Amino acid sequence: MKSISKFSLMLPMVLFIAASVADTHLYDEEAHRFALSYIRESFIFIALLMSLPLVYKQKWTSDRNVLRGLRSLFFLILFTYLLYLYSRNRLGEFIANIQKSEIVQQTANYIFILSWAFFASVYALIILGTLRNFIFIKRRKRTFSQFGWLMVLIILYAGLRATPINLSLQVEIPFISSVSGTTFQVLRFITINFMVINSFRVSWINFLNKKQKILCFWCGLLLLPLQYHFAFMFSRVNPVLPYSLVLGSFIELVVIFLTVYLSIAFLALLAHLPTARLYDRKMRQISSLHHLTREISGEFEMEKLVVTIVNLAAEVTEADFCWLELADSRDGSLELVSAKNLLKSERLSRLASFDESLSQWMIRQRTPYLDNQVTKTGPAKDLFLWKSDLFSLLAVPLLVSENVIGFLYAGRKEEFGFEQDDADMLQAFSQQAVIAVENTRLVKESLIKERLEQELKIAHEAQMKLLPKEMPKISDIELDAVCITANEVGGDYYDFFELAVDRLGIVIGDVSGKGPSAAFYMAEVKGVMEALAKEEHDPKKLLKSANLTLYQNLDRGTFVSLIYGVMDIKQQVFSFCRAGHCPILYCSTADANCQSLEPKGMGIGLDGGPAFDQLLEQTSVPIKKDCCLLLYTDGVIEARNRQFEEFGEQRLVKAFRKVKNLSAREIKKKLIYDIFTFIDGANATDDLTFIVIKGV
Amino acid sequence: MEKFVVQRIDKNDLSTLCLGGFLDAHTAPNLEEAIQKLLDEGRFKIIVNFKDLTYISSAGLGVFMGFIEEIRTKGGDIKMSNMTSKIFRVFDLLGFPTLYEIVDDESEAISRFKG
Repeated sequence: MKSISKFSLMLPMVLFIAASVADTHLYDEEAHRFALSYIRESFIFIALLMSLPLVYKQKWTSDRNVLRGLRSLFFLILFTYLLYLYSRNRLGEFIANIQKSEIVQQTANYIFILSWAFFASVYALIILGTLRNFIFIKRRKRTFSQFGWLMVLIILYAGLRATPINLSLQVEIPFISSVSGTTFQVLRFITINFMVINSFRVSWINFLNKKQKILCFWCGLLLLPLQYHFAFMFSRVNPVLPYSLVLGSFIELVVIFLTVYLSIAFLALLAHLPTARLYDRKMRQISSLHHLTREISGEFEMEKLVVTIVNLAAEVTEADFCWLELADSRDGSLELVSAKNLLKSERLSRLASFDESLSQWMIRQRTPYLDNQVTKTGPAKDLFLWKSDLFSLLAVPLLVSENVIGFLYAGRKEEFGFEQDDADMLQAFSQQAVIAVENTRLVKESLIKERLEQELKIAHEAQMKLLPKEMPKISDIELDAVCITANEVGGDYYDFFELAVDRLGIVIGDVSGKGPSAAFYMAEVKGVMEALAKEEHDPKKLLKSANLTLYQNLDRGTFVSLIYGVMDIKQQVFSFCRAGHCPILYCSTADANCQSLEPKGMGIGLDGGPAFDQLLEQTSVPIKKDCCLLLYTDGVIEARNRQFEEFGEQRLVKAFRKVKNLSAREIKKKLIYDIFTFIDGANATDDLTFIVIKGV
Repeated sequence: MEKFVVQRIDKNDLSTLCLGGFLDAHTAPNLEEAIQKLLDEGRFKIIVNFKDLTYISSAGLGVFMGFIEEIRTKGGDIKMSNMTSKIFRVFDLLGFPTLYEIVDDESEAISRFKG
């Protein structure tokens, strides 16, 4: 594409230069003059033809930059006019010479005429490009074709001027008026018609604001007479015509086109002036809406957003003051959240309420309220009493689906400050504002949620750190354990205490409830158990002390189920107490059936003393070779599948019996596999913990 | 998941709460609310009928623990009846039968209050 446009620019230039060079060298020779003129005209015609796509397609200025186009046009016209005035005397003399058949021989004259031809060509191309930009600002289906036709007509007209007949009559040609022939008249008529048609494309005036329109008006007033004068003079004394008929007529037509276009544009501008203020206002309203929409995507801080809303609302309605009242997201009370041009005392003294008569009116009507004569008796009486210089009031309810979440007010210090148009506008604006406010609230909520999740994650990690990192190594006994937490942090807990060389304390527990509170209690239980285990080796005594301590510290309603046992490795005996926890599954030999060990006991934290102490029983079981024990929390038997069935004690017993002769590690793995195969991807709701103890 | 329901029936100074469905950490606040309402109205003789309850978690059990002290100091009590064996097992494991009167039938609970 680029190379083509370069080519289309280069070729006309080359042709033009070639024509000039040929002229310079051969002009003296009388014999060649006619042929030379003919060649020159042809070259220039081709050059013009080739620059047509240049004008048509090439971008001269950026599309929407109307002001820049206008400015360059202004200076170009002014400059050309002055230049023409300056060289007019010389031109007159020069033309007179031509008329007297004195041929342009002097080099100075020749350079003068060539410069004019060159300058005028550049001038014409720039003018055409700029006008094209103006015309194409608002493109319609026919814009292209009509402009294209005009170009073709101009070139055709210029080309026809250089027919051999005209060339031979060269001497008489300088005055266009002297050229006769119906063909030309008709062609000229059609061309000018097309110019007029194209000149009605002046929609760029819409892009100017009121100030710019007024500026353009004054510039036009100055420029138009100059342009008329120039066009008139140019049609009388055309400095390019002696050099080339084609180029001369082409430039002449461009000058006419420019004049027609400017005249019509000026008239259109005049027509636009009275509505400029209204138009300006509409534009500003639209741009405010646009601005707000942009804010929505960028602003997630409520404090800044409400300020933006109030400022833009004041701009949209040209209000003296503006304020926004929103329902508090916590208690739903109405609150003035942002204001423009209100005194601090006024802000503080405003007691916004949904019960106010105007609020009630808007809640019922769900439409904007417009009052151009605020009095102390109308619906807005509360506002009038609050702010005495409020004479015109515009208020809109902010609606989220059917709920009113607040109100946006605009006020003026004079009566009849608002129009219905303002009310419509503020309503449209408020709809955008509501979206922005709601978005910001949602973002805030989701941020809070995210932070909570992050905190839960930290709590979960902390909880995991409370569990033993590795299993104690003991001769003749294998140990393994697992704690799988549900999505949230939970209250499951297990631990081992190496009490002496041959004694090991084992604890498993579950704090009631779920979530962070359960995890905190679990940490507390761990602390208490760790401290007591060092002092007290008897499980029953230890649990009694633990209950006493924890009962005082736990919330009523929170309790802990625990099993604490001590493994005597030398004697191969496991003695334990069950404080309300799930029973222990026990297999005494490789062939024996599973037993459920369930000595009496009560959950820790349920009772402060006697009942707990009386109920608690201690039991001992031997841990010989092939003996196997399973301590678990209720999360194991309450694990549910998608059909909402529980894993249950029976399935657990069955699964345990199947694997009890394997190593502790294998038993753990198989049980986890069995449980998770059963729940089959259903969401776990509770922690799942168990300990396997195996005699070897 | 089954929903949790509490149905309240007042008879003289006795109030019966019939529980149904699923009582866990998420639904426990509903039960808490129901009991708190009874206390606010000055009704401290409460029978909880577990006939239709299918599941109770530790958080559900905790609800009773949270109120029992206040109720007993005010001269009232919570008596429990009609537990399915599964629900009773949860209470039993934790040693609740030593702390609460758990009876087979609601009428028995009523007569215990009278006696």
